Amino acid sequence: MSFLRRSLHLLIALALAACTGGPDTRARANVADSARDDFGAPIAFNTTPRRIVSLNPATTELLFAIGAGDRVVGRTHWDNYPPAALAVTDLGNGIRPNVEAILGVHPDLVLLYASADNRLAADRLREAGIATVSVKGDRIADFRRLTLLIGKLVGSESQAKQLVDTVDQTLARVAAETRSLPRPRVFLHTWNKPIITLGGGSFVTELVNIAGGRNIYDSIPAPSAPVSIEDIVRRDPDLVLAGPEAVAQIKADPTWQVVRAVREGRVVAYDTNVVFRPSVRLGEGAVAFEKLLHPRPR
Amino acid sequence: MTRSRWSLLLLALVVSCLIATAVGTIPLSLAQLLRAMTGEGDALTVHVLRSLRLPRVSLAVLVGAGLGMSGAALQGSMRNALAEPYLLGVSGGAAVGAVTAVSIGAGAPVIPLAAFLGAVVAVIVAFFVAHASGARGDPKALLMAGVVVGAFANALIMIALANAEANTVRGALWWMMGSVADATWAQNAWLAAYIAVGGGLLVFVARRIDILTLGEDAAAGLGLDVDRSARLIYLLSAFVAASTVAAAGLVGFVGLITPHIVRRLGARTHRPLLVGSAIAGAALVVMSDLVARVLRPPAELPLGAVTAVIGVPFFLAQLRRFT
Amino acid sequence: MIGFDRVTIRYPRASRLAVDDVSFTVERGRLTAVVGPNGSGKSTLVRALIGRVPLASGRITVDQEDMARAHRRRLATQVAVVSQREEALLALRVDSYVGLGRFPHLGDWGSLGARDREAVNAAMERTGVASFRERPVDTLSGGEWQRVRLARALAQGAQGLVLDEPTTFLDVGHEMAVFELLHRITASGQAVLLVSHQLNLVARFAQHIVLLHEGHVAAAGTPADVMQASILERVYEWPLVVTRDPAVGAPALLPLRQPRPPH
Repeated sequence: MSFLRRSLHLLIALALAACTGGPDTRARANVADSARDDFGAPIAFNTTPRRIVSLNPATTELLFAIGAGDRVVGRTHWDNYPPAALAVTDLGNGIRPNVEAILGVHPDLVLLYASADNRLAADRLREAGIATVSVKGDRIADFRRLTLLIGKLVGSESQAKQLVDTVDQTLARVAAETRSLPRPRVFLHTWNKPIITLGGGSFVTELVNIAGGRNIYDSIPAPSAPVSIEDIVRRDPDLVLAGPEAVAQIKADPTWQVVRAVREGRVVAYDTNVVFRPSVRLGEGAVAFEKLLHPRPR
Repeated sequence: MTRSRWSLLLLALVVSCLIATAVGTIPLSLAQLLRAMTGEGDALTVHVLRSLRLPRVSLAVLVGAGLGMSGAALQGSMRNALAEPYLLGVSGGAAVGAVTAVSIGAGAPVIPLAAFLGAVVAVIVAFFVAHASGARGDPKALLMAGVVVGAFANALIMIALANAEANTVRGALWWMMGSVADATWAQNAWLAAYIAVGGGLLVFVARRIDILTLGEDAAAGLGLDVDRSARLIYLLSAFVAASTVAAAGLVGFVGLITPHIVRRLGARTHRPLLVGSAIAGAALVVMSDLVARVLRPPAELPLGAVTAVIGVPFFLAQLRRFT
Repeated sequence: MIGFDRVTIRYPRASRLAVDDVSFTVERGRLTAVVGPNGSGKSTLVRALIGRVPLASGRITVDQEDMARAHRRRLATQVAVVSQREEALLALRVDSYVGLGRFPHLGDWGSLGARDREAVNAAMERTGVASFRERPVDTLSGGEWQRVRLARALAQGAQGLVLDEPTTFLDVGHEMAVFELLHRITASGQAVLLVSHQLNLVARFAQHIVLLHEGHVAAAGTPADVMQASILERVYEWPLVVTRDPAVGAPALLPLRQPRPPH
């Protein structure tokens, strides 16, 4: 077949093109400091940034919490905490950000969310000579790491340490209070169609643990995963935790009645804003969960 | 096509490129633009222009040219005014390749390659399906085979995305909506090469497309090897379309509309029609990308959404011509 | 000039042969007609001549050269074929459309030279379409379109001309004009092969008639040989008489009425 042969030529040509095709301009500086960000790019700590663009709700709220909020000159559309952040220039998306817009506010440090979709933006910003640090955090340990990293990056190390310590103290207290209490088995509902739960890779599961409960899906390594209602029935949780609107939907939906906890009315709302990301409000989150999992009779 | 019409087309392209390069989140006046092109002026401006705007506008030109030519060649050789570059399974196959690459977490350079391979495989499968059913170069059989392959590809995509992580779904959806936002000079280089080869060959055999429009018997009577020529043209069109998909994702309607516009301007035979479609398609995509960038700053609309929206009034106008 | 030598053709999945051991030649300076009922294999022969249908056995020769071995484009400079039906998809001007007939000479890239333009003009003159050479082909009437198609075939500059039902949509006047033109073409030394339903016109203009019936040759020869009531009745399965009008000078077929179908 002549077109088979032609296609073979195509494939070979492609393979060659692929070697030269993609951008590979990640800077390879000789850094004395061996710190690297979550994309593996080296981080330089030599200057204190004065104009920071933070494209990630977690880092934005972190910057404000460690006293660097006045230096933030750009945020994503979804960075809405603390309220002071709303005054900062909205630069649009945090995933596949508008690089031109970022360059337009003349930053000297950009904090990106380390999603695969952002690799190109990170390269582009670095090409333009702007220090770019890409980070991502799913677990409480990540919060500690990132807070200290960012503290060091912006020159607010002591505030950062203080923040981490405060959060750790709250978490330790909650853990101690709930250590001897019976551990309810919890289903964490985070999306309805399809039903998505939070898995062992999520900090929310850690918070549940600290608050004296057990996520029935903590064996899933990913931060989140879709599950079927039959599997939920099989695992038979004692308690269903969901966002406020979702709670109403679950209670009203006849298909959910097959889950024992729903039949028994044990569906509880948690404030999703507080536990949206592993950041400064982790302590609050642990306390909130403690109240939900171990309601004290008044 | 008359000389004045050619000038009009070229002018449209040049003007849209100029405007698209000057306008953006960091607006540039014409004077700034010209200075920055030579490297003078604010370093940031020069960088934005050279590393962001210019490759982007250039890629839009190439993608539009490729889609325009591919659409014109297919409409002629398939004797169907509604043919477009993504027939024969190109879009379905490319989407499967890209979604697969995204879901296994492959890096950015791999996705275009995977999309291209997916498109190539889909086209080959479509040809085999048509061949196995006994139809030779018959365009109708190939069209149907393309639909079959496309449907199968959609099923695969649904399966891949059903239980995928949110990031994967978003990444896949973004790719499928088309964009020239990630343009790099390297991408421009290889896309230019592919289009030069594929498009160049199409222009070379443009007369055969004219002959094919007469019908298979008449074409055979004029000494054309109908099956081989038809196959060559379909393959070249699919190749050019697949290259644009690899570079910019799925950008619909451009390949469909552009030949109609150029025909309205007076191009009849396929040599001027192909070249005119390249120019008109380029202008169309450059302008669409401009709209995508400025409508809702600093966010961007997907390029495919803008071209689709342009398609609607175009087709309404066409429909009215029929009544 | 064109020779059909024991040609046999079978369509895939067909119960009987479409063309069964058919042999005849088409000579220069002569109008050869292939006639017969629907499904007798007439159009199949033409399609085989342009290579759209493979031969099961036998061969077709052009100037003694086996067509299967000949280069397609060169063949098109020797034999021009006007197929049964064609739609004008490109709204070309008449002269551009006729110019397409030069494709076998020009190939992919050559542009029209003086000789090509001459051939195009001559073809348009001969078919009487030169007066509207600038009109787009999608504005032509049925008769005009047919003549333009003929002009394109003539522009090919081939010695042999093959036409499959060229007068189907034409009225009497236009039909006669086409036949007169074909007569002039054969008179100038070209070979013409005509497939037609129009027995009576064929009888007046053709020098050699091949009558096909269910794929094989039922009769072949001069009009007088073939136009015999006994033969025609058998082939067309309908009662008829063959008359000879002195004003016309050729045998003519007249079908009789048969209000009730046979048995």
